[in-house]
Amino acid sequence: MKSAPFEHHQPTSVGEAVSLLESLDGPTVLSGGQSLVPMLRFRLANPDVVVDINGIEELDYLHEEDGSLKIGALARHADVEHSDLIAEKYGSFADAAPLVADPQIRNRGTVVGSVAQADPKGDWGSLLIAHDGEVVAQGPDGERVIPADEFFLLPYDTALDEDELITEVRVPVPSAREGSAYHKLKRKTGDYAMAGVGVRLQFDDDGVIESAGIGMTAVDITNARASDAEDHLEGERPSPDLFEEAGELAAEQSHPESDEHGDAAYKERMVDVLTQRALGDAAERAGVVRRTVKP
Amino acid sequence: MSETREITLTVNGTEETIEVEPRRLLVHAIREDLDLTGTHIGCDTGNCGACTVLVDGEPLKSCLMFAVQADGSEVETVEGMEDHPDAVDDLHPLQEGFHEEHGLQCGYCTPGMIMSGKALLEENPDPSEAEIREAISGNLCRCTGYQNIVKSIEYAAEKLADGERDDAEAVAADGGVSSADGPASFDGYDVDDDGEFSCGVENCCGGPSTDATHRGDER
Ligand SMILES: Cc1cc2nc3c(=O)[nH]c(=O)nc-3n(C[C@H](O)[C@H](O)[C@H](O)COP(=O)(O)OP(=O)(O)OC[C@H]3O[C@@H](n4cnc5c(N)ncnc54)[C@H](O)[C@@H]3O)c2cc1C
Ligand code: FES
Ligand code: FES
Repeated sequence: MKSAPFEHHQPTSVGEAVSLLESLDGPTVLSGGQSLVPMLRFRLANPDVVVDINGIEELDYLHEEDGSLKIGALARHADVEHSDLIAEKYGSFADAAPLVADPQIRNRGTVVGSVAQADPKGDWGSLLIAHDGEVVAQGPDGERVIPADEFFLLPYDTALDEDELITEVRVPVPSAREGSAYHKLKRKTGDYAMAGVGVRLQFDDDGVIESAGIGMTAVDITNARASDAEDHLEGERPSPDLFEEAGELAAEQSHPESDEHGDAAYKERMVDVLTQRALGDAAERAGVVRRTVKP
Repeated sequence: MSETREITLTVNGTEETIEVEPRRLLVHAIREDLDLTGTHIGCDTGNCGACTVLVDGEPLKSCLMFAVQADGSEVETVEGMEDHPDAVDDLHPLQEGFHEEHGLQCGYCTPGMIMSGKALLEENPDPSEAEIREAISGNLCRCTGYQNIVKSIEYAAEKLADGERDDAEAVAADGGVSSADGPASFDGYDVDDDGEFSCGVENCCGGPSTDATHRGDER
């Protein structure tokens, strides 16, 4: 099926894009198009005007600045996958990138577009939650910074206004004693998650967990935080028992639905397992534990 | 109907100017406006990879992109393979590989597989089996079970490497490098425990590759 007809605008600066979004009636932002193009074709989205941001070079970045890892709106999944900075310091992002879709889609789709899409099965939203990340938006009234916890409202629904453009998402640069990981269960290569868990563990100098972040994929109506498990971990020393308890708490806080890929009880069990595995990787990457047997 | 726009694409090396509506998908522009029906449509939803083409060298699914977005870009489709400098008798080594190794049955997925394979070999001329499988992981095949597709791409990698070695020998014959210097100029290759070279194919190259590390291995 063809998309309904639309006007296509190609701004070359953020300023131009924001004024287009403000002045045009019912605009939709087009980024990598890997979710939006099929939605247009199935007429799930019928905008009169499409503001294509692919020509805005100033949004093509992935770097550290002012204590944050900043991912610009035109950084593609493949840019994260092939970044040395990510490989060196951001374990969870390095884990997730090659697990998003397939090579062709990763060449085109963007991290920010994926966050904007707010698919509960999207992988990046869970990492934004685990890392206490933020979404930076530009609108007619200037810049607005939205914490990840306030961003995802419902499936495909976010705190973003129609005339706002996300310019970047960002997460704090990890401290010296911090590690993170992402584990995802999928039926086959290239699939969305049946369940996914991203974790971040920050330790103090004595090896006690100072802060923990856990985000879950595909097991609730949005990417969701496993706050009970986080609370349970904080102030404790890492141990297999502790991680097992955290896994159980995360599973209890998840709300997966049964579907053709598995029933709810199975997916809850998988949240438990994935949480434990990700916690193990994160603690190892932080340099506080060394596992002899890999799960 | 919305207004059409004139766009210019360099398709397989030839500049083409066409008029398209903004809603026209790149795959439809390629097949219907440019009459290049080698690029297939399998699923229409971004799942199958039959529509894979290279845009500015990168493999993309042309059913997930509007033609206006490719304005000013270089587009490569399977039709361009026969005119590629590496092609012999109108077949690129990848096409020859699919022929020799029975890399296709119905052929529906083949153009997409070939384009994904081309992008891989350009970046990584000596890929491992795992790297080949990763590179075609966005391309579905309903017939072959993939084994022979992997072999076809391995065939092309060897063939292309042979070509390069022939070129290098031609230079040596011209007095560029004396053959006595040969072995010393190779460095960094992997020899497996059993003494086979790491490509794993017997007598394939008779010599090591000079580039044994690829990005995929470091990940
Ligand atoms: C076959 C297939 C498999 C996939 N598998 C996965 C997977 O395993 N994991 C996963 O996470 N994703 C997966 N995806 C989705 C993919 O990651 C998309 O790239 C992503 O969801 C959307 O990013 P995009 O840049 O393509 O955005 P687009 O499709 O261009 O946009 C998506 C939505 O976000 C809005 N938007 C985009 N950018 C902005 C911005 N800067 N400001 C405001 N609004 C914006 C658009 O208006 C639109 O509503 C898959 C997609 C396909 C087709
Ligand atoms: S037709 Fe484009 S991915 Fe199937
Ligand atoms: S040969 Fe038939 S789909 Fe691959």
